[in-house]
Amino acid sequence: MMRRYLLLLALCALLPPPDAAADVVVIANPRAGVDRLSRDEVVNIFLGRFRQLPSGLSALPADLPSSQPEKAVFYRQLVNKELAEINAYWARLVFSGRTVPPRQAVGNDDLVSWVAGTQGAIGYVDRARADGRVKIVYEFSP
Amino acid sequence: MTKDSYNTSGAGRGSGCFSRLLRKPLPWWTRRASVAAVVLAVSTAAQAGDVTSEGGEFSLRGFGTLGLARSSSSQAEFVRDLSQPDGLSTHWSAKTDSVLGLQANFPAAENLEAVAQAVSRYRYDGSHDPELTWAFLKFEPNPNLSLRGGRLGTEFYMLADSRLVGYSYLPIRPPNDYYGALPFSYIDGADGLATLPLGEGLLRSKLFAGLIREKAPLANRQWDMNRSVMSGAYVDYQQGAWQWRLGYAQVKFKKDLPLADLHQLLELNGAMDASKALSMADKLSRFYSAGAVYDSGPLQVQLMLSRTQHDSKVFENSHAGYLIAGYRLNKVTPFAGFSWTRSSSKQLSTGLGPVMDATVAGIMADSHSDQHTATLGLRWDFRQDMALKAQLDAVRGSPRSIFPTRWEQPNYNGRLNIVSLALDFVF
Repeated sequence: MMRRYLLLLALCALLPPPDAAADVVVIANPRAGVDRLSRDEVVNIFLGRFRQLPSGLSALPADLPSSQPEKAVFYRQLVNKELAEINAYWARLVFSGRTVPPRQAVGNDDLVSWVAGTQGAIGYVDRARADGRVKIVYEFSP
Repeated sequence: MTKDSYNTSGAGRGSGCFSRLLRKPLPWWTRRASVAAVVLAVSTAAQAGDVTSEGGEFSLRGFGTLGLARSSSSQAEFVRDLSQPDGLSTHWSAKTDSVLGLQANFPAAENLEAVAQAVSRYRYDGSHDPELTWAFLKFEPNPNLSLRGGRLGTEFYMLADSRLVGYSYLPIRPPNDYYGALPFSYIDGADGLATLPLGEGLLRSKLFAGLIREKAPLANRQWDMNRSVMSGAYVDYQQGAWQWRLGYAQVKFKKDLPLADLHQLLELNGAMDASKALSMADKLSRFYSAGAVYDSGPLQVQLMLSRTQHDSKVFENSHAGYLIAGYRLNKVTPFAGFSWTRSSSKQLSTGLGPVMDATVAGIMADSHSDQHTATLGLRWDFRQDMALKAQLDAVRGSPRSIFPTRWEQPNYNGRLNIVSLALDFVF
């Protein structure tokens, strides 16, 4: 675990500066009954492997549009993948008819208000946008 | 009768004249070109969206590949898989890898979704007629369970249900040595997938069963696999970067290979047992597989192994495998792979003397494979939802390894070098 963490740290050091500066956090609806998610749980929910919150509720993940830099930062920090790889991953699951990708928000405000209004909803935004209507359930920074 | 008149199982050595006849006078790519233009237009118009968009509502998506490939030899034609009646020779051809698919998803209720997919590709009858590949209802009562019924793709081998979606994987086509022997891609039936968190990972298991509806080309004839029963299961464990899988599938074939003249000859001479042993009708074939995937950041590695056993004597039992690894460097991912397939011959005595035995042995040898392929290539994700790929494959095998290819000439030396280019896209 430690080794993977160090590897990730080393890889993060190689990332271009604007990404490193963005502080993306995972947010959930306060009524979801979840305080904290593990990295594996976040991966399972966003990559469509197992969409259940620890509280037993079905997880409803939402993505930002690719035009938002936070999306690339999120997937880079979560699984060290570029958006092209995430798209290729979803092409396999979508066109084999297995799982659908997270629903897509129009932008940051749309995502936060959707998470605030939907039990089980989970998303990611820059820390500065995570207001009192939503709960931070996972952070990348130590 | 000569041996060649029977030589339609598997490969059709020495029957190159049929290959010429199969080719339609109107080049297929003249029709293909207009399809391609439409695809590019649609694809460009859809650039605003991702494949990851529109979750939760009706969506229409598509995938495709414009591929060009050529072989170093025309002594045997390289095919993507045995659903193709003929393949590559020494001129550039787009038929082997080009494909266009459209898919509609209708979420009917919170837990219920309808999915339909149609695909046009070079198929068993030499046409590009679109086929309905998926048409199923998916019911997910809870996150642990997913049930599907209708026409659906099977994970016969790991990743077998996305073999046509070039954008989803690194090489231009799934390794021929491993996936090439599978001429079927969907069943009319049902499957159920159970997912259970276990330890730090996820344990998944799927059961599937249904009827095959497809046909496979055999030289200038076709093998109708309609109403053959396929069933199978896998167990899969995914934890962190690792995914492991064990799979089993079996097919009970309904109809025999198109070898009526051979059976007639054997039976007229009283060789009932031999005729029966060579039949595929009501015979079981078993497919065992194991796979491991390591996927961490820029590094992807896949290892797959399989073993196939046919109760019928007309097909040799075989084993196959492949290893492929790729490492992403910014937008470019170089990859290298190695695959192999080998089969062992079966004995059958007709009781009608050495000449007849040799004829029958020749037919059985049409399903012989003994070759490996080294692959080198590049995938370039040059823009969103599109990738360009270039690939070299070196097939090296015994001259008797004629099952994986089509239209072998008697002087085939078991060596093929394939150069391929492809543009993969999703929209």
